[in-house]
Amino acid sequence: MRLAALICTGLAASISFQTARDRWYPEIASPVDELYFTNGAAVGRMALSYRSLLADIYWIRAVQYFGSTRIEARNRGAGDRSSGSSGYDLLYPLLDVTTSLDPSFNIAYRFGSIFLAEEYPMGPGRPEDAIKLLDKGFAANPHKWQYLYDKAFVYSWAIHDSAQAAHWFNEAAKVPGSPEWMPGMAAFMLEQGGDRRSARLMWRQIHDSAEHEYVRDNAAFHLAQLDAADAANELTALVHRYEAETGSRLTSFDPLVARGILPGAPADADGAPFVIDSATGRVDLDKRSRYYPLPQFPDTPAQGAPSR
Amino acid sequence: MAPAIDIEGLTKDYKVGFWRPRPYRALDGLTLQVTPGEVFGFLGPNGAGKTTTLKLLLQLVFPTAGRAEILGRPVGDLEARRRIGYLPENPYFYDNLSAEELLQYFGSLFGYSSSDRRARASRLLDRVGLGAERRMQLRKYSKGMIQRVGIAQALLNDPEVLFLDEPMSGLDPLGRRDIRALILELRDRGTTVFFSSHILSDAEALCSRVAIVAGGRLATMGRLAEMAGYELRGWEVVVTGLGADAAARLAARGIRATAVSEGRYALELPKDARPESVVSDLAASGASLVSVAPLHTTLEEIFVQHVAKTSSARQGAL
Amino acid sequence: MSLRTIQHIALAVFRESVRDRVLYNLVGFALLVIGTSYLIGQISAGEDVKIIKDLGLAAMSIFGVFIAIFIGIGLVSKEVERRSIYSLIAKPVRRSELVAGKFAGLVLTIAINLAVMAAVWYGVLGLMALVEPESFKKAWEAPATDPRMLIAVYLIFVQLAVVVALATFFSTFAGPMLSAVFTFALYVAGHFSADLKHFDVVVGNSPVRYITGALYYLLPNMAMFDVKNAVVHGQPVPFGYVITATLYGATFSLALIVASVWIFSRRDFK
Repeated sequence: MRLAALICTGLAASISFQTARDRWYPEIASPVDELYFTNGAAVGRMALSYRSLLADIYWIRAVQYFGSTRIEARNRGAGDRSSGSSGYDLLYPLLDVTTSLDPSFNIAYRFGSIFLAEEYPMGPGRPEDAIKLLDKGFAANPHKWQYLYDKAFVYSWAIHDSAQAAHWFNEAAKVPGSPEWMPGMAAFMLEQGGDRRSARLMWRQIHDSAEHEYVRDNAAFHLAQLDAADAANELTALVHRYEAETGSRLTSFDPLVARGILPGAPADADGAPFVIDSATGRVDLDKRSRYYPLPQFPDTPAQGAPSR
Repeated sequence: MAPAIDIEGLTKDYKVGFWRPRPYRALDGLTLQVTPGEVFGFLGPNGAGKTTTLKLLLQLVFPTAGRAEILGRPVGDLEARRRIGYLPENPYFYDNLSAEELLQYFGSLFGYSSSDRRARASRLLDRVGLGAERRMQLRKYSKGMIQRVGIAQALLNDPEVLFLDEPMSGLDPLGRRDIRALILELRDRGTTVFFSSHILSDAEALCSRVAIVAGGRLATMGRLAEMAGYELRGWEVVVTGLGADAAARLAARGIRATAVSEGRYALELPKDARPESVVSDLAASGASLVSVAPLHTTLEEIFVQHVAKTSSARQGAL
Repeated sequence: MSLRTIQHIALAVFRESVRDRVLYNLVGFALLVIGTSYLIGQISAGEDVKIIKDLGLAAMSIFGVFIAIFIGIGLVSKEVERRSIYSLIAKPVRRSELVAGKFAGLVLTIAINLAVMAAVWYGVLGLMALVEPESFKKAWEAPATDPRMLIAVYLIFVQLAVVVALATFFSTFAGPMLSAVFTFALYVAGHFSADLKHFDVVVGNSPVRYITGALYYLLPNMAMFDVKNAVVHGQPVPFGYVITATLYGATFSLALIVASVWIFSRRDFK
């Protein structure tokens, strides 16, 4: 009986020490994430006939790594683009090893490319790596039109090269089994260029055809962000018009609400408020909003109204 | 009558040493015959070649030279193996089978039907005193119990020739008594028993003939009574009620009387004395006879004698 | 050689090994792994079915190899070492029948174990199929309880039969520890035999080419039996391939057993 009590006390004590250490020394606590083997072929050798399983393990590592880095990046400095993509350095190697071990690992290519292309802090902002991964995927699985589609998407949304995007949509359309709306996407891309409307269209496609929950959630997030960006644009226009009309600077939306121009204080899908930059008059999301920073498009009004 | 076991010039060399193997002669030119129905004792010190001989007879190892036959067939012959039984030294079977399952398994190898196997297994386990533990897994058995299982499996096929290697090992005195009785029973039924042992008293009690091997060679062989040195050297007569003058008379004849307990005396008669006349004299003087027994050189003394001879011969040769 | 005798020996081997504690622990652990793969699937971000399939196949393969080696060695090498073989040899049984019977019994044991593991595995997959919402099931490349995966299980079985043959072969002349090491070494080396085939490109025209070529054919080609990746992704495995692999495994094992019989029939049991 006393022995059991002693064991329990020992365990409780060790747990409390561990918690304390984690709380007080988080930097030291989190281990440097080493990827000892970056060569997929070498890992494959050592895996004997368990490549598929090892691919799964690397995949899980990639997902965990991505998730935790994302949280960390957000906490550290949302919107601080200058800090760069150093937090996500291991993402591409992890995905590379995963897909070398299992060249048919569909979701690794699709998930991998989308998130590799995501701008910091959502991702490393490395669309060239995303393209590399998708090329690898298509080489190993030439029936997968989805990878060419994803490639077009990356060109459009991350690299802003609509000519390339249209080219790859066309290539995707050539793969047997590709859906009928594919040539339409190419045409749209050529027509509209890389603007928010094409972005919205593509995110909607991804959302509706998503095979996995988080892919769909991610697309929904981007759609909401686009909505917020649209709203920010419209609000900016409203602010400029008001300022032009009244000649006074706006620092909050209350006058607009009072005048009935707006139904209420504008907010994003979560309820985080929009704020007016007093220097430029531009409307943007509050820095604490989940959707901050909003994506920039060529047709976004940049610095201030023409009249200032 | 054809011998049950016929060994001629049997020789076995082992290679000893890893890098430059040198031959080690474990058995050198053994020649002997065992007649059917006899209990034959195969005796010798450790390393004498007893176990090697048994292994050669059961084709566990192959001979370097010489030949051997069992029941007229060459060693290793399948038909012969149908009619023999073998109890290895320190036997080991299968941990996870029960005694019953083991015997039934072995029975299946003889080709017995499943009902026959069951009957035999049951009968033999009862015979060796393991009836209660028949279903227990062998890894739970004590050494003595394993020994009994070994005996049971050796008798499974009612063998004509039975090979026993240290049959008494691991048994308590009751067990040894049982096995002795079993061997005598088998002898009475006509089974030939070839048993190898250290325990000379068992050999003395059971065997009709013995062979003593030492240093891989046959030192001596024959009926105990006829063996060199196994002679009568006197008599022991135990009496009660020995009077003082009777004792004095005996002393005059050179017969010593030793008191063994209250009123009981042991008299040691020399070889040439006639016990009948001594007994009748004593009876006349009022003493009562308790027992008369012959005194022999013990087998142990003969054993040591021969073994010493052989080892000194070996020493000389080296 | 009498088929009945071999049968009896095989059954005894099966009975003995099926009660072996080591075996129970190994199988139990494998089942545990397969069972908890359900939980592991939860952290794989949508690849849960793939994880369960991969983990199940890997568990069957790895544990199968360990079982094949430990039970296999135990049943021949240990038997010789502990001398339980003595009483068996004295029975009217040919040494060739002994070897064949041991091998058959071990293969039977492996088959049963694999069947149990596969059943539990399919159970977990079936549970997954019941629990998962329809929208995600559409994304699956192949159904959770895809019967075609049994092809992979079957080829694992053939591979394990070869491993058992290896274990039996080494046991006829080496002790338990050495046999286990040799068998495992050949199992690992057998995965790299494909590299040996391509060595001639690296080595050019030197005589080393003949050595590596010979090694390629002598080493058991373990990678041939691995179709796990294909069945997990629902890709078809040609029937001809399965037949060829089966014949390869059967003939390789046969060669090993014949060699085992030859060695076993001539050796002394010290």
